[in-house]
Amino acid sequence: MKPDPASPSVIYQPFTHGLPPLGGYAKSLWARREFIFEYARADLHQKQYGSILGQIWLVINPLILAGVYYLLLIIIGARGGPDRFGHLTGTLFLFYLITNSITAGAKSVTSGAKLILNASFPRLVLPLAETLIAFMKFVPTLVVLFVIHTILGLPYSLHMLWAPVIIVLTLFFAASCAILASIINVYFRDAQNLLPYFSRTLLYLSPVLYTAQSLDANLNFLKVINPLFPILDTWSAVVIRAEAPDPTNLLLALGYSLFLFSIGTFIFLSREREFAVRI
Amino acid sequence: MSSLSESKSSDVNSKKRAISIENLGLVYRTTLDKRPTFKTRIRRLARRKRQTRIVHAVNNLSLEINYGTVLGVIGTNGAGKSSLMRVISGILPPTSGRVEVFGKVSTLLALGVGFNGKLTGRDNLYLGGLAAGMSRAQIESKFDSIVEFAGLEEVIDAPMRTYSSGMYSRLAFSVAISLDPDILIIDEALSAGDARYKVKSLEKVLEMRNQDRVIIIVSHAMKTLKTVCDEVLWLDHGKIVAQGDPTTVIKAYREFLHVGDAPESDEDL
Repeated sequence: MKPDPASPSVIYQPFTHGLPPLGGYAKSLWARREFIFEYARADLHQKQYGSILGQIWLVINPLILAGVYYLLLIIIGARGGPDRFGHLTGTLFLFYLITNSITAGAKSVTSGAKLILNASFPRLVLPLAETLIAFMKFVPTLVVLFVIHTILGLPYSLHMLWAPVIIVLTLFFAASCAILASIINVYFRDAQNLLPYFSRTLLYLSPVLYTAQSLDANLNFLKVINPLFPILDTWSAVVIRAEAPDPTNLLLALGYSLFLFSIGTFIFLSREREFAVRI
Repeated sequence: MSSLSESKSSDVNSKKRAISIENLGLVYRTTLDKRPTFKTRIRRLARRKRQTRIVHAVNNLSLEINYGTVLGVIGTNGAGKSSLMRVISGILPPTSGRVEVFGKVSTLLALGVGFNGKLTGRDNLYLGGLAAGMSRAQIESKFDSIVEFAGLEEVIDAPMRTYSSGMYSRLAFSVAISLDPDILIIDEALSAGDARYKVKSLEKVLEMRNQDRVIIIVSHAMKTLKTVCDEVLWLDHGKIVAQGDPTTVIKAYREFLHVGDAPESDEDL
């Protein structure tokens, strides 16, 4: 015999101002943290990244990419040198953490259609899980970066302890971008076709193939209008040159991340109820 | 199926409220294209065609469902059956009105579990359970019985894209009942299973009814609905047309459809 509770266990009512109750949503999101970890683990396992060979590929792949770009820099006559290769490798790895998060995040809601149509859960877990996957792919490259750093004889200092802070900031930024990309893809399914071009453009506008210091004075505006610029420049300063981070860059990176996160989550939450009828 | 009929009993209804729906309205905007793109959006804009349409899926609907009820829900395609089920299970928030649920709901909607075909049945089962709010430990404790009930011991570690629709269906049902729900919603989700599994699942449904739980079955299989349901709800354009004795409501619905006793209208659950 079922109990006869005096009050209902759950009440469904229209959203206020188009948004779900935020406290309850945050609680429900936190309760699904296991889902995010399990999703990331299962995805990496399915792609064979759970094995040693798979993890080696995770390391070799960006390393080859860095080698190709370094070759390109030498061919076009840019200044070479160990610090240049270190900068290229370090920033490229971090850049791919962000773009992998955006690319996979874009498809997260549409590819989770069956789950969305069948279960009640905060949909925000889907793009967040993709950011976690991108992060888990990034972690092995940190080991490679450490090895390269040592082989190249690049400096070490206590300023390098800022690295975890920058990684957290980058994850915050990457998750915000993944959330935004996932919504755009619900309404415009061909948006993901544009992502490779978007990603390539972003690479050229960011201090990866060049350093912020070598940037032409006429292009200094990129340092402010490109949200990736302060993150990658700070990463290079802290991890490659072992210098203290520029506070302006840190503040800019935090500002951009907060702005994109606020915009992204607001649009996501206000549109989330539509997902089940749009996908 | 005769054994199912014998186990049907009308006096198990405890009359305790399980679901209370007051003046429920569900309106949403959706695109006219199944796969909206920049291209189609621009083309429609250039031709000055409408981009979206407003769907009034549920209109001012009020309903009470008590514990111990097996409720069948019938109606033509687009009548609002699935939308109503999704509101009750919290998947779609209502536009107006209020839904009160007195107990734990488990859904077995049309597509079932297995949202990621690349992942194994095991991974999908864990992910589906975690998304539904179960803990990893809870899933682990029920994992073997879920797989055994679904009869998928040999393929649980194969990618789900290799499963047949019947296998999907069996796993979905097994997961849904493993959640030990007070209210189970089945939306046209058993049609893919074979005859043996259908009997097995319907026996489970009746077992749940005898435990005074609520089962809501959305289906076009009139014969099965008559066999297992205490009550049938007929929806049309998001409104209740009739509600009550299964034989009476189904007869009226068949007359509305002009199908009489055609065997096609008894199509599988």
